[in-house]
Order: sequence, then C-alpha cells, then structure tokens
Amino acid sequence: MKILVTDDSKAMRMIVVRTLRQAGFAGHDVIEAENGREALEVAGRESIDLILSDWNMPEMTGIEFLRALRASGSSTPFCFVTSEGSDEMREQATAAGAVGLIAKPFTAEAFAAALSTVVSA
Amino acid sequence: MSDIDEFEEARDDLEALLTEVLGTVAGEEAVPVWDEGLPPGPIVSAKLGIHDEVDDSFTMIHVRTSAIVARVLASRMLTTADPGPDDLLDAIGELGNIVGGNVKSLLRHSCRLSLPSAEMAEHEDAHVSPEGVTVRAAVLGQVVELTLDVPDDVAGLYWPGGVSGALEPQS
Repeated sequence: MKILVTDDSKAMRMIVVRTLRQAGFAGHDVIEAENGREALEVAGRESIDLILSDWNMPEMTGIEFLRALRASGSSTPFCFVTSEGSDEMREQATAAGAVGLIAKPFTAEAFAAALSTVVSA
Repeated sequence: MSDIDEFEEARDDLEALLTEVLGTVAGEEAVPVWDEGLPPGPIVSAKLGIHDEVDDSFTMIHVRTSAIVARVLASRMLTTADPGPDDLLDAIGELGNIVGGNVKSLLRHSCRLSLPSAEMAEHEDAHVSPEGVTVRAAVLGQVVELTLDVPDDVAGLYWPGGVSGALEPQS
C-alpha cells in the first residue's frame, strides 16, 4: 500500500509513521506532505491507497483537502489525525467523506482500531 | 463569569490535560506540580490563539518549558540524537498544538484554533509566566507550563488555510 501522511510538523509526521509500524502496519510505502495543497498535488499524480492528514495546516487545511479530493472524484480512504477530537469535528469529517478521526495524543491501539478495516497488516 | 474565572474553574481539568498530553508525547510519566517553576536557562515556548467568532473574543494558550525538555522531546519525536534549533521549535510547537486542540475541545469547542507559533528565548523576562491561569506538570524532572489568558493583542498568530497571518472566517 502507498500511504500519504500530511502534517505541517515534521516531528508529527515521523510519529505518525512510527505509530503505523507499532500498530502492525509495517512495510507500506509512505509519502509525506506538509500541507493540504501539497498533499492534493501528490494525490493527483500518485496512486495513493490511504491518506492520514492533520486538520489545521497552513496553505490548505485538512478538511479543505478532503473536500477538494472528493470533488475531484477520488474515493481514497482518508483519516484525520488531529489535536481536536470534538463531536462537531468528527461529524464534519464524516460528512466530508473521512473514514475516521484519530485524536492527538494517540496510541498505536488507536491507530489499529481506526485503520484495521482499510490497511492490511 | 469572566474568561479568567472560567479558566480558574477548569484548573483541575487543565492540569489533567497537560499531564496526560505530556506523558503521552514524552513517553514518560508526567506528574502535576504546584510549587516548581521553570529552571534557569533558555525557554522554548509555543503560543496559539482560539477565536470565538460569536463575540470575536480570543483565548491565548502558552506552553513553555526549558530547552532541556525541548531537546529530549525533539530527540524522541524525530528519532535523532542531535536535534537542531528548528527541531526544538517544531517539537514544542506540536506539543502546543496538541495541548491547544485539547483545550479547545474542553472549553471552546465551536471556535477556531490557530497554528502554533514557537520561539526560544534566553533573556530573564522569558522566565516570567504570562498573566492568566497557569498549571504545571513535570516530566524528565523538568517543568512544563500551560497558561490560558485573554490577550490584548493577537498580532503574530497564524491561522490554518488561506494566507498566513490573516484571520479568515472558518468554513
């Protein structure tokens, strides 16, 4: 699988990649992007199997990225990894077509639970 | 009830929030502390704003710690033995972002959270806590502070999406 990890923090991108491995999802190709706009460009030229994205980012937010992605016709599974996990944001995420929202700080177990249906171990 | 009174009433929740986030991010036990301050030496801090569009009010969040803690966190987050200055700012900025997101979920869930703005300061004034309600937790034997206040000035905050530095309506 090819997984696109989008976050404006390099430290957080590394933590997400590491946590994917700890959750049992090792051996996948990972591509990184720093904001929604960059991620949208990557998703337009690469065949991506899963997108893990922060919500609050410069240039283009995660929800703007998701809406633009769905508007382009892509149905790539999309999961938010964000510091805000309110019910309101979960509803927004679901309505826009996300498969889930993992709230920071997270554990490997949270990744496993949220992604087990879309990522092969 | 004033905003400061509200923050004061939420003190226990803020303390628990800081301790939990810090412990998870550091991968070490974190404990609340009440009578310890930041140690001498450089201070690394992150600030974020929360904007309430209903009454156009702001809440400012400050997360501050020593460069020693920032270096350990950056080292662990980035898995590097020798993190550079930008890595320290990235690590504390992300810690601030996680704390800020959780504060927003606790107290200001319908509002808008800014991006973190991190800096390192060595001058003596950097050791003075911002005005407002401050809670502290210790990890790795060092203190991390979280302060919530009502700012007079919101210049220098950066907001998600759109043009950096400009405050735009949330979609």
